[in-house]
Amino acid sequence: MAGNLERYSQAFQTALGASEAELGEGYSFAAIDQWDSVAHLTLITELEDAFDVMFEPDDIIHFGSYLNGIEILKRYGVSFED
Amino acid sequence: MFLELNRWPKDAVAAKDDSGQSATYGDIQELVHRMEDCALPRSVVFCLCRNSVGSLAGYLALESVGMVPLLLDAQLDAALLATLDAEYQPWAYWMPSTAVQAHEEDILLRYADYVLVRTGHDTSPLHDQLSLLLTTSGSTGSAKLVRHKQGNLESNAKAVAEVFGWNTAERALCALPMNYTMGLNVIHSHLYSGGCVLLAASNLMAPEFWDFAKAEEATSFCGVPYSYEIFRRLRFERRGLDSLTTLAEGGGRLSDAAFRWLAETCAATDRRFFATFGTTETSARMTYLPPELALEKTGSIGRAFPHGEAFLVDEEGNRVEGEGELCYRGPNVTMGYAQCRADLERGDDFQGEYHTGDLAQQDEDGCFYIVGRKKRFLKLFGLRVSMDEMERLIAEEFQCECACGGTDKRMVLYVVTDQDPELIRSFASQKTGIHQSAFAVELREAIPRNEYGKISYAALEEANAS
Repeated sequence: MAGNLERYSQAFQTALGASEAELGEGYSFAAIDQWDSVAHLTLITELEDAFDVMFEPDDIIHFGSYLNGIEILKRYGVSFED
Repeated sequence: MFLELNRWPKDAVAAKDDSGQSATYGDIQELVHRMEDCALPRSVVFCLCRNSVGSLAGYLALESVGMVPLLLDAQLDAALLATLDAEYQPWAYWMPSTAVQAHEEDILLRYADYVLVRTGHDTSPLHDQLSLLLTTSGSTGSAKLVRHKQGNLESNAKAVAEVFGWNTAERALCALPMNYTMGLNVIHSHLYSGGCVLLAASNLMAPEFWDFAKAEEATSFCGVPYSYEIFRRLRFERRGLDSLTTLAEGGGRLSDAAFRWLAETCAATDRRFFATFGTTETSARMTYLPPELALEKTGSIGRAFPHGEAFLVDEEGNRVEGEGELCYRGPNVTMGYAQCRADLERGDDFQGEYHTGDLAQQDEDGCFYIVGRKKRFLKLFGLRVSMDEMERLIAEEFQCECACGGTDKRMVLYVVTDQDPELIRSFASQKTGIHQSAFAVELREAIPRNEYGKISYAALEEANAS
């Protein structure tokens, strides 16, 4: 079974067409052109399905970057430790 | 002056945007005077739009001095913009100053974040009545435009303002692009009433959008079905937007569940919900469902706006009761289409009557319901995408056979090729400016055709279901 970080990155690839190499510190809502509202909702849905969670509205709005999303998911009990 | 904007106090704020800029009715009048001083020859001007004060003010001034703007998204695909430029040869561009690469002497005027730039093209002959050009919504790379005539925009603005009861206290939250017919109508109807438009360039999923709505105490919002999917996910009713008392929808059919949710949420929180129906060809809106009927008539688009008439016709074009193609007569019906520059001289093809291509039913109270479609197009995220156009584009680009099917949720591209399906998917997304999740690619050995060589869509989708 794939690790959580891998599943997390996979959601970005599906929703935003991101390449694995891009995903890191600089990958944010503000920096990425394709990251519009449609891509955002697709991403949120992908993540909810992948981790079987249901985000609070405020977390959906503030899900603003690749790294910040990991912090949000941790609060929903998703572990990114190996 | 366009929309009689000079009726309002000069110090009243007409527009504000989420970058912090604002313009009063007086500022817009002054810009009109500055543009008059430029003595521009009547001609086509391409407006590269974003939802900002500069973008809007320039467009309003161009309309007021009798120029003929074509409103385009500032993010428009460069190849498509080049095609449009070559075909329609605009005399000037109204565009973001940051995007300009021109000699100083070609810049005719500056306002806020926008400039008016002269191109090298000469003026072209235009029909006297021509007032505005828009792309057919969700254009798929063609140069097909809708030709608006004098009075179209004003008549729809007035009818909408009357029905919605807009006044100078209204503050409209405008997230739909101003180059999209309904987004433009929201702006017009509020400015006609002396209200203020709050132009949001940020997207509905961004914290900035909600902060802007709250700080500016927006009173109304108009969205497409997708906007309300987001509203629902974000539980807008709990976001403290107490001032937001009118919600309107258009640009595609809400699912029955979403319609019910919106009607019930609005009823429970003392808000008005207007379901509306419109097209670019009718300068936006044709019909609306009065808020008091929203709970009982799920999915209905209601009745015609004042001064217009909606009716049904059968295959032969005869008026019928019950079910038929939805048609509309009214002062907001445009003149017709343009496919090339010479068409800008054409007269009124529609003659005040437009056949929507949508099949509708009418109930005993006179309210309409859309039940299907005569023409081959889908509405993806509220944007109309022609399946015939898409087939042509893909066939050309990938040199392969292509047939389109699917639903408003997702367009399916059936192709006969050994190329990477992902390339085709991203091509479709790029050409339409619509997220790639709206497209699916299915590889086929052959496209089923009937004995006359016409694509058999039923066989195509059937094979898909099995």
